Order: sequence, then structure tokens, then C-alpha cells
Amino acid sequence: MVLRSMRAAAITLLSIVGFTALGAVAQEPASPKPVTGTKVTQFMGLEGVKPRAGGTLTLDGGSLQFTSSKGKASVALHSVEDVITENDSQRVFRGTLGTLTMFAPYGGGRFLSLFRSKIDTLTIQYRDADGALHGAIFTMAVGKADPLKKEMLAQGAHTTIPMEEEAGGAAVKPDAAKEKKP
Amino acid sequence: MKSVLNVTAVSILLLGAHLKLTEVRGQSAPPPAMKASAIQVLMIQSDEIKLPAEFQISLYENLIEQLQKQGGFQHVYRDGDHAADSATDLVVLHSTVRGFKKGSEMARNVTTVAGKTSIDIHCQFNDKAGKNVLEKDLNGKVRFFGGNLRATLDFAKKAAKMAHDNFVARPAS
Repeated sequence: MVLRSMRAAAITLLSIVGFTALGAVAQEPASPKPVTGTKVTQFMGLEGVKPRAGGTLTLDGGSLQFTSSKGKASVALHSVEDVITENDSQRVFRGTLGTLTMFAPYGGGRFLSLFRSKIDTLTIQYRDADGALHGAIFTMAVGKADPLKKEMLAQGAHTTIPMEEEAGGAAVKPDAAKEKKP
Repeated sequence: MKSVLNVTAVSILLLGAHLKLTEVRGQSAPPPAMKASAIQVLMIQSDEIKLPAEFQISLYENLIEQLQKQGGFQHVYRDGDHAADSATDLVVLHSTVRGFKKGSEMARNVTTVAGKTSIDIHCQFNDKAGKNVLEKDLNGKVRFFGGNLRATLDFAKKAAKMAHDNFVARPAS
């Protein structure tokens, strides 16, 4: 009888402890998840990476990491002084192919240069361990720069142009969603 | 006797030509405004003109790259680099954007004559004490081929050449 009551008390106690632990786990702040890599082109500026290198930009452990076949670079987010996003456009036929199209007969090259794709640009300014100022420019697909900037700011980067808050979570036109300089 | 006279005359002519050539060389290359072994590039300022961030960064990075490529300076320091504090004969480059016209790559490709991008920048070189030693307006432009940011490379090449011509000591000829 005593044994049964002790077992029941132990089960009750374990249940209480279990529920409390579950609640604690649920209330624990979610650790920042590393943003899955964003495909970008490093236009210029990163040390140790060739200009116009294509690669992946990831945010992990408070640093911005660029990985490509041509090199790897990492920038601590707390050293990033400014993050600015803008939009631009580029030729669909570019590089060697773009150069070759210029020799196309009957103005074919001019016609092909009318085909352009929209891109987002992400510009960062950061300081190295000696305090020296660096800058880097990345280009990426439309709509990728703003979420990346938001995540960078959340992880400790700074900016001179804060992101516009979306009013009531309503959908905003892509042009209006872009930041505006004061 | 005649041959001796001929040789003497030719020798005098050659000597004269050599002296004249040396003089012309000396005149074509002006003496440097100030000898400097290191240069520090400050971030491009654009208070009056609204310059897109990528142009500002591209100007700054291209300027540093071109100064390193051009050679002549033992060190090319960036803005805020603490190592520049210990440099003795240092020249500091301040660049201020005075004009900017963003053209269109598409217009350039289609029309050839329209869509030029140009940037006008006032360059001021100061010594370590802050005394102005040289200032000049330079511009960068892209008329035909390439993206708009190519104008920044054009400016950087001109500025690096100017810095090299004015502050790098040339070996005595």
C-alpha cells in the first residue's frame, strides 16, 4: 500500500517536473538560425577574393561568410559599419558572350543589349583589426538583398539607413519596399 | 687632318644632342611637389552630391588598387588604418565628389553616343600636418563600353597617376 502510494507520488512528481521543463524549453529564446546561403556575385572589395567571383553568402556565428571556388572570406558582423541595399540592372548577355554579341551583324548586338535583368546590390563598409576601412559590393537576384540586410542587422551589423518598417505587415510594392535615403 | 676634323665635329654634335635631350627630359618631368613614401586614402566624401553607395565604395577600392598597381609608394594605407600614424613622410588624399551624372549602359550600347556616366571629383593632397600640398579636379567617365561603375576605374587610374607623378621620387637620370 505504502509502495503503491510512493509510486504514484513519484509519477506525479516526474510529471510535474516534465511539464515544467517543457515549458522552460518552450520559453527559451530561439537561437539565431544561420541563414541559408544566398547566391551572390562579389563585384569587388573582399580581401582574398577575385572581383566578379560568384559564390554563396552565409551568415553564421556573427560573421558574414563568402564562399566560392575562387576564394573564401569572412567579415565579423560587429565590424560592419554600414549596409546599404539598392537595385540595378545588368545585361542578360554579358561577359565573353556579351562582347561577342557586339560583332553580330545588322545591329544584332545592339538589339541583344536591350535585354536586361534586374538585380539587387548589397554594399557593405567594414573595418579590419587595424581599423582600416574596407568596402565590398555584392550583386544578387531581386528580392534577396533586403532579407539579408535584415538578418545582418539582427546579428550585430550597423547601418546609416534603417530599413523601412512594413506598415501592418501589408504587402508593399517592390519599389516602395526599397530603403530611402533621408 | 680632315678625318680628325670630321670626328671632332660629329663628337661635338652628339654631345650637344645629348645635352639637349637631357635638358628636355628634365623639363618634361616636373619635380615632385613633395617626396612621400606612403599615401593614405580617405573615404570619398559626397556631402553635396547624392552618390549611390556602390559608386562611393567602388571609387575608394579602385583608388587603393590603382595606387598599389602604379607602384612607387611603399605603403598605401586605408582610411582609419592605425599603422599610418607611425609613417613619417605620409601624404593624405581627400576626395570630394563635385558632380555626378549616372548614365545608362543600355543607352550607350544601343545609341553609342548617349548615356555617358561621369563623375567629377576634387582631389586634395595634404601632408601629415594637414597642410595642403596639391589639389586638382579630376573626372572619371565611361562613354562606350562597360557598366556605369567603370567610370570609377577611369577616375582611379587618373588619380593614381597624378599621385605617382607628384609624390614619388624619380631616380636621377
